[in-house]
Amino acid sequence: MTVPGRPDQALPVIAGGLGKKYRRGWALRETSLVIPKNRIVALVGPNGAGKSTLMGLITGLLRPTTGGITVFGDRPTGKGLHPAVSYLAQQKPLYHGFTVTETLTFGARTNPTWDQRYAEYLVEQAAVPMNAKVATLSGGQRTRVALALALGKRPGLLLLDEPLADLDPLARETVLRALITEAKTQGITVVLSSHVLAELEGVCDHLVLLHKGRVLLAGDVGRLGAGGTPLGELALNHMRAAAQEEAA
Amino acid sequence: MIRVSWRLQRLQLITLLGLLVAGAGAVVLLRSTMLGDITSSQLTRCVTQALEQCDAPDAAAKAFQTAWTTPLNMGQAAILGLPALIGVFIGAPLFARELEQGTHVLAFTQSVSRTRWMSSKLVVALVPALIVLIALQYLVSWWLSAAGTLGPRMSGPFSALNFGIENVSPVGYALFAFALGTFLGAVTRRTLVAMTAGLGAFIVVRFALSGLVNRLVPIQRLEVAPATNTDVLQNGSLVLDEGWLDAVGQPVSADRVSAVTQACKTTPSGVGTPESQQQFLACLPKSGLAKRYADFIPASQAWQVHLVDVAIFGGLAVLLVAGTAWALRRQN
Repeated sequence: MTVPGRPDQALPVIAGGLGKKYRRGWALRETSLVIPKNRIVALVGPNGAGKSTLMGLITGLLRPTTGGITVFGDRPTGKGLHPAVSYLAQQKPLYHGFTVTETLTFGARTNPTWDQRYAEYLVEQAAVPMNAKVATLSGGQRTRVALALALGKRPGLLLLDEPLADLDPLARETVLRALITEAKTQGITVVLSSHVLAELEGVCDHLVLLHKGRVLLAGDVGRLGAGGTPLGELALNHMRAAAQEEAA
Repeated sequence: MIRVSWRLQRLQLITLLGLLVAGAGAVVLLRSTMLGDITSSQLTRCVTQALEQCDAPDAAAKAFQTAWTTPLNMGQAAILGLPALIGVFIGAPLFARELEQGTHVLAFTQSVSRTRWMSSKLVVALVPALIVLIALQYLVSWWLSAAGTLGPRMSGPFSALNFGIENVSPVGYALFAFALGTFLGAVTRRTLVAMTAGLGAFIVVRFALSGLVNRLVPIQRLEVAPATNTDVLQNGSLVLDEGWLDAVGQPVSADRVSAVTQACKTTPSGVGTPESQQQFLACLPKSGLAKRYADFIPASQAWQVHLVDVAIFGGLAVLLVAGTAWALRRQN
């Protein structure tokens, strides 16, 4: 749903003064952020930094307390997700009673842009048996099925909330590599959240560093790393500075 | 989306089908046994005629009623209770389970609007439940009519057990119980809370509103002279009010009525003689009790009361569905 003549409106995510307050306090404050097209974005920050909240706001599952956000030019509402956006929540929700085939059928029935062959191909790549019940799959297999469901929709923006959290190191590498290959070949903007920057270093080409509900650092990795400081150290420095500022 | 909802409701659908088959089998079996009993104790004519006119063998009717009242009442209770069960076991978990397990996020992040997701789930859960309810209601009604006036039908269409299982009323209760369960499930996001609170609220509302319908249907008034009997009291009509009217047609208070009748009973010609009865009846109008009256809804108008009943509970159900849509589209 791009607005012709206003190409800036069609950017995956534009947030201005975005804030979200829960009963327990602010989870995200005055966040202004642009996520450009065709990037692999690392959304990094310690636990409770507001990563999931930011994703919730992009999907429309949450409503901003202050400010505004547009996703491909549209404001997310409670009606439903933008058709060009796929979201994989941290818990990787799937119907446990469904088989893998039924899960893909679910994707086909609920998404007009569904690509069944592509989704099946992704499941085959992961060597997950099609007739197995989701409840019987391992954590890694479940992630791969959830990923196939998210990618089968052929999204323009893919949001993955801690996609690697419950995977072993080997599975992390395979999942990540599969994901990057797909993103690069399909031209998808991917936003990956993690509290460990190390696991995304070398994969992402855009970084958003969140700390206590604020953006500490955002930009293309090439530009951020121009000073010669490794990305991890740069992020750590910023977080230390923020912590000192608070203490002062 | 409908296909997906079918798949998610599969277990409930199988349970419903099992319930229908078991219920139908039980009713068919019980009905044929009962018909055998009626024939063997020569009560066939008493099914359609009043007990005094059908010259049945002594004690046969009594024995039949002792044997069959409980099973028949249980059949009625099943239809009376089924709406509550639909609300608790089909309505309450419908959204609460998804919200509890987080699978709503899966549905909310596909390209289907939340409203469409909600409506397809509602339809797929509700329609089969209503079909099973109506089928079982019809079967129990078929069984009850085989017992005729020997069975619970004798107490008229307005008795609590009879009214609640006839016509469109069970559908109205089921719609309400189901909508109440889904609404509480969507708001509380807890299956168990929705089930228990839904059951409690349904029972309270069901009883609280049971008297309301009678006030929304046109009432007929019968006025008779003191000596005549009003048969509306026996023919199955719903009597809402009865008493005495004075010469101007105003109702007389119960205290005054008992004082006057007490005063009129002390007649000059003693007690219990035909003359005393005459004098008693002549005394009443003189003391201000001109006529007896009864406000009632005739048994033949029962369908109107059922329509009002279904309108009330169906209306509440519509409000609750709107509330559910609001709760589901709300962003935290």
